[in-house]
Amino acid sequence: MNMYRHELRDILKPTMIWTFSIMAITIFFFSMYPTFSKEAESLRRMLEGFPQAILEALNFDINAFTSILGFYSYIFVYISLAGAIQAMILGTGIISREIREKTADFLLTKPVTRKAIMTSKLLAALTAIIITNIGYVSAAYLMAAIVESEGFQQGVFFLISLSLLFIQLIFLAIGLITAVMVSRLKSVLPVSLGTVFGFFVINMFAKSIGDDKMGYFTPFYYFDSMYVLQHKAYDPELMMLTIILIIMMVTGSYVMYAKKDIHTI
Amino acid sequence: MNVIEINGLTKFYGKARGIEDVTFSVKEGEIFGFIGPNGAGKSTTIRTLLSLIYPTGGSAAIFGKDIIKDAREIKKDVGYLPSEVFYYDNMKVKDLLNYSASFYNKDCSTRIKELADRLDLDLNKKIDDLSFGNKKKVGIVQGLLHSPKLIILDEPTSGLDPLMQQTFFDLLKEENEKGVTILFSSHILSEVQRLCDRVAIIKDGKIVKVEKISTLRENNYKKFHIETKTPIEQSRFNFEGIKDLETDGHSIRFLFKGDLNPIMSRIAELDIANLWIEEPDLEEIFMHYYEKEEQGHEHV
Repeated sequence: MNMYRHELRDILKPTMIWTFSIMAITIFFFSMYPTFSKEAESLRRMLEGFPQAILEALNFDINAFTSILGFYSYIFVYISLAGAIQAMILGTGIISREIREKTADFLLTKPVTRKAIMTSKLLAALTAIIITNIGYVSAAYLMAAIVESEGFQQGVFFLISLSLLFIQLIFLAIGLITAVMVSRLKSVLPVSLGTVFGFFVINMFAKSIGDDKMGYFTPFYYFDSMYVLQHKAYDPELMMLTIILIIMMVTGSYVMYAKKDIHTI
Repeated sequence: MNVIEINGLTKFYGKARGIEDVTFSVKEGEIFGFIGPNGAGKSTTIRTLLSLIYPTGGSAAIFGKDIIKDAREIKKDVGYLPSEVFYYDNMKVKDLLNYSASFYNKDCSTRIKELADRLDLDLNKKIDDLSFGNKKKVGIVQGLLHSPKLIILDEPTSGLDPLMQQTFFDLLKEENEKGVTILFSSHILSEVQRLCDRVAIIKDGKIVKVEKISTLRENNYKKFHIETKTPIEQSRFNFEGIKDLETDGHSIRFLFKGDLNPIMSRIAELDIANLWIEEPDLEEIFMHYYEKEEQGHEHV
């Protein structure tokens, strides 16, 4: 409990900054909706001139664009990108910080198991992600209700919103295992940004060429908001894959962290 | 009873040697020195004992418990002070020490205050604002606040001024009088000489010798330096047990090991102006020891 509190206090400030930023982007995006929906017809004509592959890569579905949920599923791609970066930085940082800031000797010579250390860090990170998601979903729901006076399908809305949580969980797990595997992770930011953008680009590419198999290699594909919009559900197969991947990476992190040599500076 | 028992402990970093077949034990209530040049394997041994790194061979036990399996149990009663201390910079000293104390199921607040007073450490400062020496003090308090039964120190004195070093050594001696065992690693021999009962000498990852400090000195040469009023012939000192004989007109120097009586009577025959008989300090003993080792290796 003491370690959890310590970790949480340490990540609370960046978490708040991330949460408010993501909320701000969300509010900004939704505030553009009235303009978009009014100009839908001219937008449609303009987009017809674009090559189909580019539209698919950018997640543009012209017909879906005129409804609030269609609009939401479009902007959500960029919100999930931000969320993924936050989660990956959180995952890598929470483990590698002890070694980078040379405090590992302090913590690991206390009467605690490495398992307990990992659990405290993981729970603190989960708490941070839950805080972000609560902030995000509230902002998104409030804005959607404001800009769309005629109402919308709340189930689909929440399914899309909730995929942020799952995407963040995957990237948190990716961050954890990266930090545990690399013996001395010096800079969290480039590694995190590189990984997240890498997966993001793979997703765009997979969609533009319509290659479903390629989609398996990027977490962004697992919670495609267009799919959720059309099917009013997550892809069950990909959902299973998500859960399996998270469990595998988290378990792997525990096992490797327990065996890891903590070197002197 | 042995507090620390190390048996053939080996650690390789890939192919690079850390330590090889290290075996020694530390008895309860002992101040045990662990000495060797930088890179000899002192920290590797200590970090393995604390399960910060894991051995590639051999085993070790502290309080009779396995260092890997029972690491958590063991650490309840171990205090550790590393050579370089780094703590969460944005915390106050007080908060860090309370955080440290929160890992042990006892009230450490009086002990924290007591130690901070002794070391003249301001509890309300931010760790970030502390000098290196003051951070070191935080390290000392942090290592002692839970009244451990075993204190492990890895080159602990760097950054402490001589006065603070004295206070620190006094603290260690007081703890030792209460029955606490201390493992003290250092490459500064005078520290070890001042504090320790026994010492293990490590070189190139291997233990060269484990010996009582007093025995190390007994078995060794005495340094003679004589000044006479008349010139001396070197042949007067053709003795069994004399080494490194140097004469320079009115002055003669040599090392001697053996029965002191015949040499004293021989000296008495001289017209002495001045006389020094000194114990070589540990530094000289060790240098001698290391040289011997190296020559030995070369012959093989």
